[in-house]
Amino acid sequence: MRTDMVLPALFCLAWSFPVLAQEAAPAASRAAPPPAFLDLRGQQPIAGDAHAGAGKVTVCAACHGQQGTAVVPALANLGGQPATYLYVQLKAFKGGERTDAVMNGQAALLSDADMRDIAAYFAGFPPAIHGGGDDGSAGARLYRDGDPARGIPPCQGCHGADGLGPRPEKRQAPQPPWSTFPHLAGQSVTFMTKALGDYRSGARAGTSNARIMQGVAQALTDEDIQALGAYLSSR
Amino acid sequence: MRAFNPISVAVLLGLCVGWSVVAAASDTSGTMRVGDMQYGNGLDPRGWTPLVDPDADGMSWLHAGTLRTPSGALYPYPNAPLGDKPLAPGSDWTYWGLLQLGYIHLNGDRNAEFFRQYTDWKNGAALGLLAVGLNNTKTGSYVEFRGSRISSDDQYYRLRAGRYGSYRVEAFYRDIPHTVSTAAYPLWNGVGGTNLTLPAGLTPGDSTVAAVQQASRDAARREIKLTRTRTGLSVEGGLYRNWVGFASITNEERNGDRLWGGPMFFNFAFPSTGSPYGGNGGVLETVRPIDFTTTDVNLGLRNVGKLWHFNALYTGSFFRDHKDYLNYQNPFLVSPVVGVPAAGLVTNGQFSLEPDNDYHNLRLELSRELTWRGELSLAAAYGTMRQDDDLLPPVNCTGTLGFSAGPLQQLIPCADWNTSAALSKTSANARIDTHLLDAKVSFHPTNAFAWHADLRYYQEDNKTRYLSYNPITGQYGYISENGSQGTVVPGEVGIFDNGYYNTSNVQIASIPFGYQDTLFELGTDWNPSRSNTLGLTYTYDHDQPKHRERSRLDEQRIKLTWSNRAVGRATLRASFEYGDRDGGKYNYDPYLAYYSASLPGYVPADGIAPTAFTVDAMRKYDMSDRKEAKAKLIVLYPLGETSTLTSTFYGTRDHYDAPVGRQNTSTTGFTASWDWQPGPQTTGSAYIGVESTHLKLANVADNEALVDEPGGENADLGGPFYPLENYWHDLDNERDYNAGITFAHDFGRVRLDLGWNYTQSLSKMNYDYASPGALTHPEAATPDGVGAFPNNHYRSSTFNAGLTFPVVRNVSVRLFGSYQSGSFLDWHYLGFDDTLVYDHRIYTDEGPQLHYSVTTLGVMLNVKL
Repeated sequence: MRTDMVLPALFCLAWSFPVLAQEAAPAASRAAPPPAFLDLRGQQPIAGDAHAGAGKVTVCAACHGQQGTAVVPALANLGGQPATYLYVQLKAFKGGERTDAVMNGQAALLSDADMRDIAAYFAGFPPAIHGGGDDGSAGARLYRDGDPARGIPPCQGCHGADGLGPRPEKRQAPQPPWSTFPHLAGQSVTFMTKALGDYRSGARAGTSNARIMQGVAQALTDEDIQALGAYLSSR
Repeated sequence: MRAFNPISVAVLLGLCVGWSVVAAASDTSGTMRVGDMQYGNGLDPRGWTPLVDPDADGMSWLHAGTLRTPSGALYPYPNAPLGDKPLAPGSDWTYWGLLQLGYIHLNGDRNAEFFRQYTDWKNGAALGLLAVGLNNTKTGSYVEFRGSRISSDDQYYRLRAGRYGSYRVEAFYRDIPHTVSTAAYPLWNGVGGTNLTLPAGLTPGDSTVAAVQQASRDAARREIKLTRTRTGLSVEGGLYRNWVGFASITNEERNGDRLWGGPMFFNFAFPSTGSPYGGNGGVLETVRPIDFTTTDVNLGLRNVGKLWHFNALYTGSFFRDHKDYLNYQNPFLVSPVVGVPAAGLVTNGQFSLEPDNDYHNLRLELSRELTWRGELSLAAAYGTMRQDDDLLPPVNCTGTLGFSAGPLQQLIPCADWNTSAALSKTSANARIDTHLLDAKVSFHPTNAFAWHADLRYYQEDNKTRYLSYNPITGQYGYISENGSQGTVVPGEVGIFDNGYYNTSNVQIASIPFGYQDTLFELGTDWNPSRSNTLGLTYTYDHDQPKHRERSRLDEQRIKLTWSNRAVGRATLRASFEYGDRDGGKYNYDPYLAYYSASLPGYVPADGIAPTAFTVDAMRKYDMSDRKEAKAKLIVLYPLGETSTLTSTFYGTRDHYDAPVGRQNTSTTGFTASWDWQPGPQTTGSAYIGVESTHLKLANVADNEALVDEPGGENADLGGPFYPLENYWHDLDNERDYNAGITFAHDFGRVRLDLGWNYTQSLSKMNYDYASPGALTHPEAATPDGVGAFPNNHYRSSTFNAGLTFPVVRNVSVRLFGSYQSGSFLDWHYLGFDDTLVYDHRIYTDEGPQLHYSVTTLGVMLNVKL
């Protein structure tokens, strides 16, 4: 391991432990939503300088990989994600609308241009997908069809039939901020479990997108989350 | 993997996310339909305005602002959550509540009829709204109470409880006022009861006109109104698997009085000749009691399976009138036209009021999904309406009415008619049964094409039979007009026998009107492109009326619809419908079997056939050939992202093939509205509507000189009895205008709402006639043979303003005011400023105020619980 990566790697480990510990914590202790709120409904697609971003991702790459593939399963794969999605996540960490012991501190140091450039950098890599996935599995069915009887909409409506983002038709009606929705294919079971768990518990509710996911995740059981994670991680 | 349209799914997702907010504040009535859909009152027609606070978060987390409906209208901002608080620490129950209490003060013409019509406004305290809700987020259970009170005759309270997706119970209580007149001067004693007696100073059947006028002047002004008190209880819930059942009962008591009649034969034909007792006959505007109970019962059971859907519904309605009759005293002298004294004074009149009656209907529906995204729906229903009230005797007089003059021995011994023994049966035993069969199929074989077919059969079978026969006297018919007609005119008592009255042609039996109707419909919808939809529907309606002028009516209708979204951002919806009705041979007098001329022993007077029932060219509007065209165009245009302009043009033209009767009707209208919603803090709207209607009818006056004379039996238009010289037309024209403006803005500390509503209606009746012979009063004829009644008009304008501002946390104050003004003119009421008694006519209602203005001021304290 290169010496300049030691410190970021320690950050990664330090981040992973609270994440795992948080999973076991009582739901009540995480129920209070963050006070700050970021409305993403009017968010337009952003542009950044990927080349400049390459020089700003040293710390990021320690956990999320140089090409956006996370070094531990608890963390998100950033490669191939929409730049706007990555940008608004950094913005939410910086503004406190999304809380994380490590990322809040990291994002606090970034300027708006830094966030755009970093986002553009990771968006330029191909996603870490596996191309598999059992289309007959419970997770695939839930992702594809949802479960109307339980009020669960199909995930593919916002995240794309292949988990690589939606392909919306052009219409005059107000559009959701498609570019702020993440691609899910290839994300690890651990990361998916934490993300959906945070939505369900209300720990992650500081953006308009998080409010959408709150409504969805509250209808999901632990088994649903595991099934979805298993399916998407194999995609 | 089957791909979803991401936008559709996103919208669905948004609705799912937003539902929890909307559901908490929405006012859906579900399927039970107990009570009323709307629980507002004059203070707040919407019924829950204090709870309405547009949510700045918009309708979805997916996109800012609001969406538009498929046709392009903006959805309103959803209401903000009601601020549920935990009922107790650790409890799954939360609560919310609001109390709005205040004071209302009225200035101006507070008793104006049009101001009070549906609201019992009073100076004093009022409960604007008391609303309390409990929700259990864990179980989905809820309890909600809502109530408002302006007065003891104008209030509502509703309680709902249940668990979402499981069951619901609802109970309500409501008083709804309805004021008919605020300027009524009934001269009788006993108003509100069943026996109206004349005041001291008037002699039944023998008062001078001056004395009656004085009694009318002395009568106290009073309101004529009724109050509907409604109570109800309903329950709906899942029973077993996919079976859902519901039951509801609603009881309505109507108490009060209304203006009514009191016939003592014509007066206009017998004007005063200078006698202090006036002319003859009598037309009395009385007041009758309203004391009704209506109980409605609904029971339902439905099953929604994957393939089959089943629905069963029982509806029962039970009407009870606690006042069977209205007796009233007649002040006027009714005398024979043959110049001899009457055998007795006509002192009393009587009305039989509405009978108790029961209604039952059982409807079964079954539907099944079919291939090609099709559906088969079958429905069958049986209904029966019955009443078996005791019948009242034909008259309530005593002694002997009528007269005796030479061969005219026209005496009416009341004892032979004022007893139920004078009836052919003692109770009505009336019954009408209905049957319905309906079969529909619809298919959507492709996304661009759909078609449906419907075959419907409905029968109304009237089993009521009543023969007007007096077993005591052996006579048929009914003593008409309380015995007054027979006291005035020879031969017009209203009865038939084989003796003195053997030339009398009178109705002797009820006519069991009914019909059976078969309807077939075939329709299709086609989308030639994404932005165009065309529809074509053909309908064939075969009606077979019973005991009517035609035994068969056939109507074919074709309807074309077109909707288009290709012209800019506009949505156009156009429709055109054409109908052509004809039928079998028209019999202008199908009622002979129900008249005494059909009885053995009937003898035409002087050998002359009975007077023609009506002119043979008469075509009743529901039986005549008719061509009808309807057109409508709706244009909806979004102006930017925050406003919408909507215009509607519509028209209907009906042409009736009727030389005599209704000939033409037409309606042409235009509405335009602009709705503006730049954000949750601001809304505005403007509306204007104009409608013009015309109705033309033709008739011919009979030649009175030929009644009971040769030629009187001739029904030909242009014949001696209905000469073309007596032909006339009537043309009704009406034009209505409506306009309104609303604006509301939340300034942060203060919320302002403004509104203005305007309604105007103008009507005019023109007439023309071939000669003065067409007129009841030929002396009123003009040389050009045309004329018009004075114009009628109604106008109402209301301006509302309100300010709501917080005082302390959870407490706010609402100051509001309205200014309503209006004017009214109806020539029927002209002259009532001088007297309400003209000759032998007594009017009770002076009519609505010609001009009025009222200012309403109020202050309400809103406390969030």
